[in-house]
Amino acid sequence: MATTTLPQVRPYGRSRSAWVYEWVTTTDHKKIGAMYVATAFGFFLIGGLLALVIRSELAVPGLQFLSEETYNQLFGMHALTMIFLFVMPMTTGLANVIVPLQIGAADMAFPRINALGFWLIPAGGFLMMASFAFGGAPIGWTMYAPLSTRDPSTGIDLLLMGLILLGTSSILGSINFLTTIFKLRAPGMTLLRMPMFVWATMVTSVLLLFSLPVVTAGFIMIFIDRNYGGGFFDPALGGNPVLWQHVFWFFGHPEVYVLILPAFGVISEIIPVFSRKPLFGYRAFVLATASIGALGFTVWAHHMFTTGAVYLPFFSFFTFLIAVPTGIKFFNWLATMWGGQLKFDTPLLFAIGFISLFLIGGLDGAFLAVVPFDFMVQDTYFVVSHIHYVLVAGAVFAIFAALFYWFPKMTGRMLNERLGKIQFVLLFVGTNVTFFPQHLLGLDGMIRRIADYAPNAGWTVLNELSTLGAFIIMLSVLPFLWNVFITLRGPQNAPDDPWDGYTLEWATTSPPPAWNFEVLPAIRSERPLFDIKHGAIAAHGAALPAGPGETHDELRIDAPEEFLGQPLEGHEDASGEPRGVAPEVSAAAPDATVVAGAGTVREAEAAEKVVEKAKKKGPSAGPTLPDEKGPAA
Amino acid sequence: MILAALALAACTTQSGPAASGVHLTGDANPPGFFPGQVATVQGKAAAALYPLVFVIATIVFVMIEGLLIIIAIRFRSRSRSRDLGLPAQTHGNNKLEFGWTIIPAIVVMILFIAGFKTLSDEDALSAHPQVVVDVTAFQWQWNVKYPDYPNVAGDPLSYTGQGKDGPEMVLPAGETVRIRLHAQDVIHSWYVPSFFFKRDAIPGRVNEFEITPQDIGTYGGQCAEFCGLAHNEMYFTVRIVSPSDFTAWAAAEQAKAPATPAPPPSGAPPGGGATINVSAVSVTAGFNPSTLTAPADTPLTFQFVNTDPTVPHNFAIQKANPDQSDWVGQPPANGGQTATYIAPALKAGTYTFYCAIHPNMKGTLTVGQ
Repeated sequence: MATTTLPQVRPYGRSRSAWVYEWVTTTDHKKIGAMYVATAFGFFLIGGLLALVIRSELAVPGLQFLSEETYNQLFGMHALTMIFLFVMPMTTGLANVIVPLQIGAADMAFPRINALGFWLIPAGGFLMMASFAFGGAPIGWTMYAPLSTRDPSTGIDLLLMGLILLGTSSILGSINFLTTIFKLRAPGMTLLRMPMFVWATMVTSVLLLFSLPVVTAGFIMIFIDRNYGGGFFDPALGGNPVLWQHVFWFFGHPEVYVLILPAFGVISEIIPVFSRKPLFGYRAFVLATASIGALGFTVWAHHMFTTGAVYLPFFSFFTFLIAVPTGIKFFNWLATMWGGQLKFDTPLLFAIGFISLFLIGGLDGAFLAVVPFDFMVQDTYFVVSHIHYVLVAGAVFAIFAALFYWFPKMTGRMLNERLGKIQFVLLFVGTNVTFFPQHLLGLDGMIRRIADYAPNAGWTVLNELSTLGAFIIMLSVLPFLWNVFITLRGPQNAPDDPWDGYTLEWATTSPPPAWNFEVLPAIRSERPLFDIKHGAIAAHGAALPAGPGETHDELRIDAPEEFLGQPLEGHEDASGEPRGVAPEVSAAAPDATVVAGAGTVREAEAAEKVVEKAKKKGPSAGPTLPDEKGPAA
Repeated sequence: MILAALALAACTTQSGPAASGVHLTGDANPPGFFPGQVATVQGKAAAALYPLVFVIATIVFVMIEGLLIIIAIRFRSRSRSRDLGLPAQTHGNNKLEFGWTIIPAIVVMILFIAGFKTLSDEDALSAHPQVVVDVTAFQWQWNVKYPDYPNVAGDPLSYTGQGKDGPEMVLPAGETVRIRLHAQDVIHSWYVPSFFFKRDAIPGRVNEFEITPQDIGTYGGQCAEFCGLAHNEMYFTVRIVSPSDFTAWAAAEQAKAPATPAPPPSGAPPGGGATINVSAVSVTAGFNPSTLTAPADTPLTFQFVNTDPTVPHNFAIQKANPDQSDWVGQPPANGGQTATYIAPALKAGTYTFYCAIHPNMKGTLTVGQ
């Protein structure tokens, strides 16, 4: 039988030093991805702590805990930590684990560059945090010149060096992702059969590749201005401070989509699986993702409406226009769920939380695109609220959805559902209590980046509420930490396909072997696993009645491992009739299946290569290579 | 959630603006879902856009959240043990896609055109504004100048803010006022929430705009672009008065003798008593020296040197006047210049001295027997 029970990945050595050596030197995309995720989460805790200090200071008027000097260092570092050290490495890490699996590749295209990209993150993060010890960086995350070029603090130079390293890391990462996605897709996986998360990663990588070199060059220009009298941005030396804003926001706005497109991708993976339906309007999603990416480069100066130095109608127009593809995504998600069978596991809860709260952030965006209104609320708490509804209710919710969804695949262990639901409720409440009052504060004229506000403004109650919410968000993180702790101590009990998934990562073991796949199912649609389980006809036909003695759930829950072995033969229903199942490429019998499974000779050859590669890779990647009949047989 | 927030907004009304005459805050209105009173013609037009956007956003919000709740209830999986069969595997619908592409596109274009029209009115500059005001922002204070209103010495009326409240800007109601924004050091932003408007003050650039003040009253303003250490204390106020009051105010100010110009430094203390030398270094480094001693009950002469190259400073002593108010040395010395200030005799004790333009610059003055 071609069914192979794949071996668990075993530690490479018995001693602790061997374990450390293995992780430090690994080029396995799954291990690098796990390190990205863990590092990013550590920085999430640091950034969250900074936010708590900021909110504590703002709870009531007057300076209670901090001096202005300290406060001014915190908000910029909070933003930079959350953006460059949490959301970006987190989504890069998830993509690192998932993208090669979803496209049926054995690893990333450039495994060593992948490792380099990761190791630059802790280095850059260390430099950024070290700036606190050298006078700090009281310039905000936007680093507007000439404030940033004139402040003598050494901390700013350290911050810039850290950011340049992080920028380099992301540029390397995006080149790697693009090459992987274009060159290493499994046979049959055309561009329009790629999972939406892969599409999102691809567009994100393009955005990074076009925008990050610009701002990295800009960071170097500020560094030159500060240390070598460059005068790029200082008007006293003939420079132009508005030029820095153009450089910064030409990166800064696409960056917003760099942070949110992977989140869109995650949500577009989770909603169909937990609705037991295909993604409604797959092509519309692809087009919407691509057009958000393209339009993302036309709106940067909407951050500069009040400078009086940009042509406002142009940027206002495109800012409005970008609402359209985002709206398409919302409607398609709703249509995906419509008529489905929603399983309210934690990933779906976070996904629905994402849709309901990101909507508020999106609608705020429509307000801000009205230029005369932007004149009122730019640089106020309205904008603070907008960005946090986009990035907390958006990116953070999607990241937790993704962590719950893919944790079994990454570690072989299921996170606790009850703790997950507690976490969701706390985070949902906390996010709204923290950020909704900030809309009203901004509309009343409370500006951001101030350590203190006037006691006679009537802002105290709303600020107290916002601070209370921040502590609720903090509480919501505790169940998650406990959840991960107890789960990682527990046994590897996760089935290979716990969620009844559609995409290729669920076609291998949890966690996957170093070489990812023993066998690759044939890919006939964007849901190769669904086609295997239910047949290609079911994928496009009406609801299938469950025949006597045959229930889909039974297949899913009771015998997932056997089931995953089945694809090689094709799934047959009770009557013994094959349901139009696509044959498979099998490591055990490549010749027999490749020809039948692949549409063209070229695809067949490619498939054979993949199989051979997998065979070759096997011995070098792990000490316990299963033989073709499986290790236990 | 919205209801809760509404209730909350209602609560905060009670803790509204304090009775204090000084508007340290930007806005006298309590926070709420709609903008409060707006005092300029342009601002009123901009604020009038808000209900349109609010209504559209509310409709979209209710529609999507409503659908989400309906879907979550109606299509929840009813049983985990019993297989219901697969739901219908719908892959898409081009008509629907077309619909939810075109309708939002039309809605946002309507918003764009409405915003564009208001913006064009707001951005228009008239050929002959009735009052021109030069506003200069610097770390962390404002200067307001009326170039068309010279004082007896022939210099334009000029007010540099001192203390936390900053300067007051007087404007006539119903007249076209052009404001020219300058910045001396870093980027600042001139923001008056009750005018529904802000514009950045950028070094190396003059930003001009026009407003037509309408509602008589006093309105708070604040720097809105992060500009360094004391950014949160960069306040100013705008007082809108009737045109006749404005004329009277300007005439009175023009007739006033300018603040005593600094006499040239000389060896002999001009005011008698003791002479003390002190210099201002910078807004972050403060004064040199930062502790001073002086004899009690004798007039004091401060020979003040501003060594900060570009920033004006002066010298002030807390609670030094007989009525316990602060004594403030006038006028401030511009960057690199000197000034001589004569302070009243002080009783023995410890006083705090500071720069009235930068109240964060502080030092200690010990007055002995």
